[in-house]
This record gives sequence, C-alpha cells and structure tokens, in this order.
Amino acid sequence: MAGLETSASGPLSALARRQYAALAWMQARMFVNSLRTRRGSFELGARIVTFLLFALLAIGPAVGMGIGAYFLVSGGHLRSLAVPLWILALMWQFFSALAPALAGQNPDLSHLLRFPVSFGSWLLLYLMYGVVAPSSLIGMLWTAAIGIGVLSAHPEAWAWVALTLAVFAFFNLLLSRMILAWIERWMAQRRSREIVTGIFLLVALCAQVFNPAFHQHRRGMPYGLTRGKIAQLGYRIWRVEKVLPPGVAAESIAESISHDSPQKVENLSWLGAWVVAAAGLLVVRLRSESRGENLSEAPKRAAAVRDRAQGYGWLDFSGPVAAVFEKDLRYLMRSGPMLYGLASPLVMVFLFGSTARSAPGRLGAMRMEYALPLGLVWAFLGLTRLISNNLGTEGQGIQFYFLSPTPLRTVVLGKNALHLSLFLLEALLIGIMVVVRFGPPSLSVAAISLAWIAFAVPANLAAGNTLSIAMPYRVNLARMSREQGAVGNGLLSMLTQFGIVAIGALVVVPCALMGHPWLAVPVLLLLAAVAGIVYWRVLAGVDHRIAARMESLTREVAKAGATG
Amino acid sequence: MLSCLLMDSPAIAARALTRRFGEFTAVDGVTLTVAPGQFFGFLGPNGAGKSTTIKMLTGLLAPTSGQIQILGLDFSDHPLEVKRQIGVVPEGLALFGRLTASEYLRFVGRMYGLDRPTTNRRTEELLDFMNLSSEPRKLVTDFSHGMQKKLALAAAVIHGPRVLFLDEPFEGVDAIAAGTLKAMLQRMTERGATIFLTSHVLEIVERLCSHVAIIHQGQLVANGSLEELRSGVAASLTGPQFSPQSGEKLTLEEIFLRIVGGGGPAANEEALQELSWLA
Repeated sequence: MAGLETSASGPLSALARRQYAALAWMQARMFVNSLRTRRGSFELGARIVTFLLFALLAIGPAVGMGIGAYFLVSGGHLRSLAVPLWILALMWQFFSALAPALAGQNPDLSHLLRFPVSFGSWLLLYLMYGVVAPSSLIGMLWTAAIGIGVLSAHPEAWAWVALTLAVFAFFNLLLSRMILAWIERWMAQRRSREIVTGIFLLVALCAQVFNPAFHQHRRGMPYGLTRGKIAQLGYRIWRVEKVLPPGVAAESIAESISHDSPQKVENLSWLGAWVVAAAGLLVVRLRSESRGENLSEAPKRAAAVRDRAQGYGWLDFSGPVAAVFEKDLRYLMRSGPMLYGLASPLVMVFLFGSTARSAPGRLGAMRMEYALPLGLVWAFLGLTRLISNNLGTEGQGIQFYFLSPTPLRTVVLGKNALHLSLFLLEALLIGIMVVVRFGPPSLSVAAISLAWIAFAVPANLAAGNTLSIAMPYRVNLARMSREQGAVGNGLLSMLTQFGIVAIGALVVVPCALMGHPWLAVPVLLLLAAVAGIVYWRVLAGVDHRIAARMESLTREVAKAGATG
Repeated sequence: MLSCLLMDSPAIAARALTRRFGEFTAVDGVTLTVAPGQFFGFLGPNGAGKSTTIKMLTGLLAPTSGQIQILGLDFSDHPLEVKRQIGVVPEGLALFGRLTASEYLRFVGRMYGLDRPTTNRRTEELLDFMNLSSEPRKLVTDFSHGMQKKLALAAAVIHGPRVLFLDEPFEGVDAIAAGTLKAMLQRMTERGATIFLTSHVLEIVERLCSHVAIIHQGQLVANGSLEELRSGVAASLTGPQFSPQSGEKLTLEEIFLRIVGGGGPAANEEALQELSWLA
C-alpha cells in the first residue's frame, strides 16, 4: 500500500485535491490534444464566437439592470430591488432549463465511480461544471451589475450587499443545477417522462388561458376584477413574494442600507434556508447517482413476458428505410434529453407566443399577421440538433451501417423521413396554436407558409446531411450534455437556419410591403425546386462522402463506452 | 455468374494488403487465402495489426493498397454484394444500445433485406438459442458484456452469411454459452461456411481452427494448417528448453511464443522481479 493516500477523503482532503488536479490536467490535455486536428481548432473558434455572441446578449441587460438598481436605490425605492432580482432569478433558471445551448454541460460523472472519489468531491465537481455554464456566467454577470448599481448609490453598505448577492447567486446556481439534475432523472424513465410532459402541457395551457384573458380586457378588468380586488391580490402576492429568495434578498439589502441590523440578518438567514433547501434536493439526487444508480427501463420479468406475448412493434413494416425510421423513432422515444430538446421550442412558443399581440404599431400588426410562418420557423429549432447531426446517436452501432449491404443513402433517407415527419407534427401543433390564438391566417399567408416549408425542408435536410457527415459528434442519449464538436456543429447549423429564414424574409417582406404578398409564393416555389435538386444531389453523394470519412466518423460517433 | 464465382473461388483472398496511418504502417503487405469451409484463426500480439486487417477485410477500413476478394468478388468493386455474403462481429460489437435485443435483430434482418416473416422467425430462434429471450424489454445498453457479445454474434448470422468474421467472439462469454457457440460455429463450417476468427485465447483457437495465420508488427509471419506450423516450428527448435518431450505435440501457445518471440517463462519471471512492490 506504499504511496497510497489513506487519510480522510472529504471534498478538500489531500486526496480530493489531487483528484481535482488530475481531472483539471485531463481536461487541459484533452483540450490541447483536440487542437491537433482542424476540427478541434474549428471547435475552439466556434466556442470563441459563441462566447462573444452570448457576451453581447448578456452585456446589454446587465447594464440595464445595473442602472435600474442604481436608480431604484438612490430614489429610495429599496424594496423594489426585488424586481431586477426576480428578473435575474427567472432568466437564470429559464435559460438553464429551457435553452440547452445556455445550460452548459450537465456532467456525466459516472466514470468517476471506479475511483475513490468522496460524495463531497462529487458534488463539488458537479457544481463546478455548473459555474462555467453560460446561463450561470450570464446570471453572475447580472448579479454583479445589480451589485455595482446598488453600491454606486450606497457604497457604505458594500460588505452586506456583496454577501447577500453572493448568497443569492449561489442559491440560483444550486437551484439551476438541482432542476437540471431532477429533470434529467425524470426524463430517464418512461412513466416519470409522461408525468413531466403532462405537467409541462398543463402549465403551458394555463399560460395560454391566462394571457388572452388579460389581453382581451386591456381596457377593462378581466374576470370581473376591480381596482380594490387587484390591490388585495397585489398585497397577497407581496406577502408571499417577500419570503421567496428574490424577496428576502431585496429585503436584506434594503435593511442593510437603512441600517436595521437584526432584520437584515433575519432576511439573510431566510436566504440561507433557501440555499439549504436547494442544496438538500440536489444532494438527494446526486447521492443516488454517486452510488451508481441504474435508470434501466427493464420491467419485472413477469410483465416483460406478457409484453412479449402481445407482439412486436407498431411500425413493423418492411424495408431498410422503414427499419431506420422505426429504429430512430424508438431511440427518440427512449431518450429524455432528445425529447426535451424537441419539445422546448414548442413550449417556448406556447409560453411566449402571446407577446406578439402586445407589440405596438405596424410591426406588431405584421407579427400577428405572419404569426404562422414565424411559428413554423420555431418548429425547425427543436429539430436542429437531430437534422444537423443525424449519425450522432448511433454510438458503436454506426459500424453496423458500414458492414450492412444497405447503401448509406438509404439509411440517411430513413432518418430524413423521420425528421420530416417530426417537423410536420411540430408544424401542425404550432399551426393549431396560432389559429387558436390569432385566428386563421389569410389565404396568402397560408400559401406563403406552405411555399416556405417546401423550400426550407429540403434546404435544411441537405445542409443537415452535409453537416452530419462533415462535423459529427457523439450524442449522449441519457444526459443533457454537450460533447466535443457540438459547439462548432451547432453554430454552423444555426447559421444555416438563419440563412434559410433570411432568404424567406428577403422574398416575403418586400412583396408584403409592396402590398402583393402573393408574389412571394412562386418565388419561394422556385427556390423550393432548387433546394429539392440540391437535396437529391447531396443524398446521391452520401455513400461516397461517408466512405471517404468512415474512419473519422467512427472515431467521433463511436467513442469508447458508447453503445448508442 | 455470382453463384459460379462463389463455388470456385477461395472464401477470402487478400493480396499485398497494406494500411498506413501517416508514417506508421499497421499492416504491411499481408497476403493470405482462406478456403471455403475453413475455420481460420488469425493470431498476433497486441498492436500487431489483427483488428486493422479484419477491418479491411470487412469493409470497415479502406486499405492503403492491396486487393481483397471475398468468395471471388472484389470488395472494392462489389461492396454491397460482398456484404450480403458476410457476417461480422467487430471489435466494438456495432450494437444499438437503445434497442431491445429483439428490436435490434429485427432491425438487422431488415437491413440485410430479409422479409418480415423470416426476420421474425430467425429472431425468435436466435434469441432462444443464445438464451437472450428471458428479458425481452431490457435495452441492449443494460446487457452484460457477455450478453452483448452473444447478441452481436446473433446479429452477425441472422442473414445466413457464407463467411463469418469474428473479432474476439468468446471474450466475456460464460463457459456454458461459449460451448454452445462453439458447437454452432462448428456446425456452420460443416455446412460450408467459412469462419475467420481472432482470439487471444489460444486454447480455443487450437481446438476450433484447422488453419492459423500469425501476424506480428504488421507482417504475416506464419500461415498454414496447425500441423504445418507445428512441424515448421519443431524443425527450427535447437535448444533443450524448447525441445518437446518425445511423442508430445507442441501446443499453439508454444508455437505462438516461438514465432513472435515472447521470451518464455524466464523473461516473465525477470519482469515480475521489477514489480516487487506488488502484494
């Protein structure tokens, strides 16, 4: 046992520190080694571009929050600090849970199970990955901006304000990681997946009912409300709000500025209690993971035998295209993260679609008129990762395609058929929602929408097939993680989407402004024909291009330990 | 025309097969022929080029130069026809982890162009034969390594291949299952199928294979029937420590160590002396 660390193994023990150093070294080596390839260098460039884009998106609101906090505090509206803190908290959690690109890596630490890693270290590592997630970085930037705003008005309270905001930021970090960890757990199994989906839909439908009710009564009061009732409701909300984290953080800062020491300590203690609650729920989840939890969906034997007797498959039609279609559909239905990624844009349309009604002026009217094509653009978003990395889920199975006598263009055609079906389903759901919310679109807008789909579908699939072969990356079907290569591929696929939308807009907007929206239809159909030809040419060349990249495809997609 | 070629040609013929990775030559001018119905063992130490060779023979890796013919068909000219005739258990098993065993076999059958009733019937038979039918809802990713190996083998034979390539097929498979699989493979060769097998378990190769080739540092250093290898090695032995006892045959392990220069027990003892800190 000579040389073996046998002392206590807490999260800050000598052994743990060595383990962190080893992991950091490993990450650094992996990063350096990745730069040996052109792909790795491109990935680094894509990360820098993405970081700059996120920075641009984050800095504006940060400045706004800082200025807002300054004026609120210097104007004596100390308790109103809760407003920017609520915005901060909601955006932090929203970005983290619903925008996978901003959620960062939810690390799969199961590879550490074979090492003597303590649970404390496990937890700390999990949080460290959370700290560097874009959503957390943006949240911390906004927290710092609010702090600067408050301290510019009252620099004497710097210590307490900094402490309160640090605890508040830590709470948000814990909460976001806790939510992500539990979502992942729920999405891993069919029964809980169905329950979560049900809750999601319920919340979305409530928002749909709530929003129009308010907007339709803009000049009057909805649901028979009076000013008195609203004031009463506001008071009740305020009483609840002031014990929630943004409320107690605002109270704590307000008390520190007005020099009421006992109250500020009490409020900070409440905030600490929220931190403990979030941490407790995260610990419960991660402890199961650290003990090697198996989220297998295998049912009990008796039930399994009964299922077997009932027959197989609901799409069991013959032919390789159908086989690939069915296999990929099964994969999709069994992967919580994939389903989540597919559904989240839809949920966002559900939740925020109604804001289009409230936009003022000609722009707002145009947005309402063109709600259907705008919604259809969103429908593509959930499919972006599937379309632009259509071999990424195969794992070791990709070798099977190289061994089988089925041409690879047939395999890709099967995948494209599934993606087309999914798009049509999403488009149908969004179409129904748009009709319910905004009324049926005019005939010209409906025709424009269909013509744009005819152009956008083959264009997207052609670009997706090209990217899937040129820049594949392994998809973790069990976790919401982003693998090496995902950023570069994601950036290019988003640029492609943007290009396709921009071409559509360049055709439609001038025609609409000239008062002849119908003119856009033949132009879009012409583009659709061109896109169709490009798609077939890309499909025809799939075998040749995959054969040329067979080794790198296998290396990227079938990385060690992946059985798809 | 195809059936004519299948009958008259060797099952596997590789000529001057070479594969380079940059400056490194993994396989260097390998030429070998495997007759139809042969159980052929392909051996070599780690990193010798076994997996690279098998990948080239099955179309998973393009050779830098050289020619491959399977059942008389040139692989580069007729890749799909060749693939219909071969079955492969590759190094990574090529499984789709998120399917059940039954779904996976049905998928594979359809990808090889089998009709639905045939695919379903063979799937049932193979699952029963491999003892994989007791947990029909379990995903492949949740299978043990041995079960995954059995499933990969089932997938490799579902279309009735004439030539079977197996890369370490018995690794991780329990003794009972291994016995069943060996019997199945031997029956296949009796019916005319050709099996090309790599394994580090030399006893298995010795028991199953009629012919063996050994690759070392990318080059083929021995090729022939077990008896030919035995007599070749025996003739080259001079030292008393390598002399077989009278009437005793050289084992494949002895042949292998002699050819690739393992160093023998004395070298192993010397190496262990250097790891004196081991308990």
